[in-house]
Amino acid sequence: MDADTAIGGHGDRFPSTQLSLLEATASGLSSEALDRVITIYWKPVYRFIRLKFHKNNEDAKDLTQGFFATALERDFFARFDPEKAPFRTYLRMAVERFAANQHAAANRQKRGGDIEFETVGEQAVSTDSPEQVFEREWQRQLFCLALDDLRAHSEGCGKQLEFQIFQAYDLAEGEHPSYAELAHQHGVPETSVTNYLAWARRMMRGFVMERLRGTTAGWRELRDEMRRVWS
Amino acid sequence: MRNSIVGGNTMNKIVAGLLFGLILGALDGATAWLYPEARPVLTSIMIGSSIKGMIVGLFSGWFARKVQSTRWGIVVGSALGLLFAFLVAIMDATKGQPHYLEIMLPGFVVGAIIGFLTQRIGTRDLANQRTR
Amino acid sequence: MELSDSVLDHLRRVAALPDLSGTRYELEGEIGRGGMGIVYDARDRVLDRHVALKVLDLIPAGEAQLIAALEHPAIVPVYEAGTLPDGREFYAMKLIRGARLDQYVARQSTLAERLRLIWRVGEALAYAHSHGIIHRDLKPQNVMVGEFGEIYVMDWGVKAIAGTPAFRAPEIVLDQRSDIYALGALLRFLLPEPNPPALGAIAAKAMSADPAARYPDAPALLADIERFEQGMAVDAWPEPLWHRLRRFASRNSVLLWLLAAYTIAKFVIFFLRKL
Repeated sequence: MDADTAIGGHGDRFPSTQLSLLEATASGLSSEALDRVITIYWKPVYRFIRLKFHKNNEDAKDLTQGFFATALERDFFARFDPEKAPFRTYLRMAVERFAANQHAAANRQKRGGDIEFETVGEQAVSTDSPEQVFEREWQRQLFCLALDDLRAHSEGCGKQLEFQIFQAYDLAEGEHPSYAELAHQHGVPETSVTNYLAWARRMMRGFVMERLRGTTAGWRELRDEMRRVWS
Repeated sequence: MRNSIVGGNTMNKIVAGLLFGLILGALDGATAWLYPEARPVLTSIMIGSSIKGMIVGLFSGWFARKVQSTRWGIVVGSALGLLFAFLVAIMDATKGQPHYLEIMLPGFVVGAIIGFLTQRIGTRDLANQRTR
Repeated sequence: MELSDSVLDHLRRVAALPDLSGTRYELEGEIGRGGMGIVYDARDRVLDRHVALKVLDLIPAGEAQLIAALEHPAIVPVYEAGTLPDGREFYAMKLIRGARLDQYVARQSTLAERLRLIWRVGEALAYAHSHGIIHRDLKPQNVMVGEFGEIYVMDWGVKAIAGTPAFRAPEIVLDQRSDIYALGALLRFLLPEPNPPALGAIAAKAMSADPAARYPDAPALLADIERFEQGMAVDAWPEPLWHRLRRFASRNSVLLWLLAAYTIAKFVIFFLRKL
């Protein structure tokens, strides 16, 4: 687990049916909208800043915090136009502007010789651009949160077994166990394994959509972003 | 769809044949004006030619009502045209110089034209129509 | 919770698959992605046949019921419309094995065959319009040619289009005349180079920027094509005189030959006489 990127936000609250971004800001729930944005976008923004501006862990964290604290205050949501680009892109571009300004301001004070070549961490892939990393982290975070939601939900309605089987299969690193093995390990018939997986995947899909709904402006953007998540 | 009927749709083929025969026969007869020796008797030539044409047209029209085939219409028309032209040529030969070629050759072609036109224009005998 | 790249990719793939539990279908594979959703190859367990299962993304097309009611040889029959357990709408329709129009035509294809294709599409359009359905996204990729040469027009009533702009009418609100535009664009797409100017003019008329200048409906466009096929003058093209004469000559060639024969015969006789 990453102590470096502990999120400042209410990420582990179970999400109720979320209003879309525009609905939230329109009805004056900006702080809630902000929360949702931070929950999903903190890590992607952090990784993006590290990669694009070659910052070390501390500086990147500061910049990320700074962005979410200051840049978002100035009628950020009001200026978002869903016709031009999805919210994800709008946010990323705002980050770029913010970080570039800060970077320029900081350089003016530097004495010089600040070249640091630091690897970003285990996820660094030399072929990916910062923009691609940003999108990937966004997807990753969406699914992470959806999985948290799913876990909480299964505990809440007594479907822990279903979640365990799902975890054993779909969250397995490397080779997946066979249905027969899982059936045997958990003492259920194989058809149940199929059903449980179907249930868990369906729920997970729903949770991803819910998380996504909170950071998109309307059903059209939601649908387009959903497609981006799968393809 | 392809063989759409051009022109008058309402008259039947026999009437059409008579009409074409009359007009084309008259025109064919009128070309005799090119031969100065024929000019004195031009009127009788034209009348004879028109009658010949009408007879050919009558039979061609009757044939076209029964059989729908442009090719056979032309064949029948030209055969009839040749036949009646031959008869006229014989009659003409008894009067003086024979004009077999001048009468039969155009008569043959005019018959073909009459045969063609009767296939294309006018209403058929509906009872005999082949369903396509 | 941290997700590795491989697990993330797996989850992404898996979350997109339709959950067919509770339906009579079994997922076999993915066929393609269209304007409204993803199309899968699925097996109908009850009737033991393969169907095309179209899973709609989110908002179902409001006309799904109406489209399912269309019965025309060129419109893909819809077997069933329903809701998946995961909330998405789907419909199961006949699985077409064949080639898309753009692929079909890339292989050899005569002008007569291409016009036949337009005929079938136009007939389907006329039928749908008479039932109040507008296609809105007609293009070669939405027309399939089946194994026996039969034509199917697919993907009816797609509302949101990121589609090929070349086939989309300029106006904002799409209606029957926009479909006419697309039909004209399809005709132009199918025409070989160099094309008969009459057909080019038909396509151009159908593709007029002003909807009122286009053909009023599909049968009108098809009638003009029929006139072309019969060698008659086409509404869309004011043809130059020499072309009109050429057309007249080819239509009436037999008569003209007979008249020529008569004239030649007369001349021959005349000159023989002189000798």
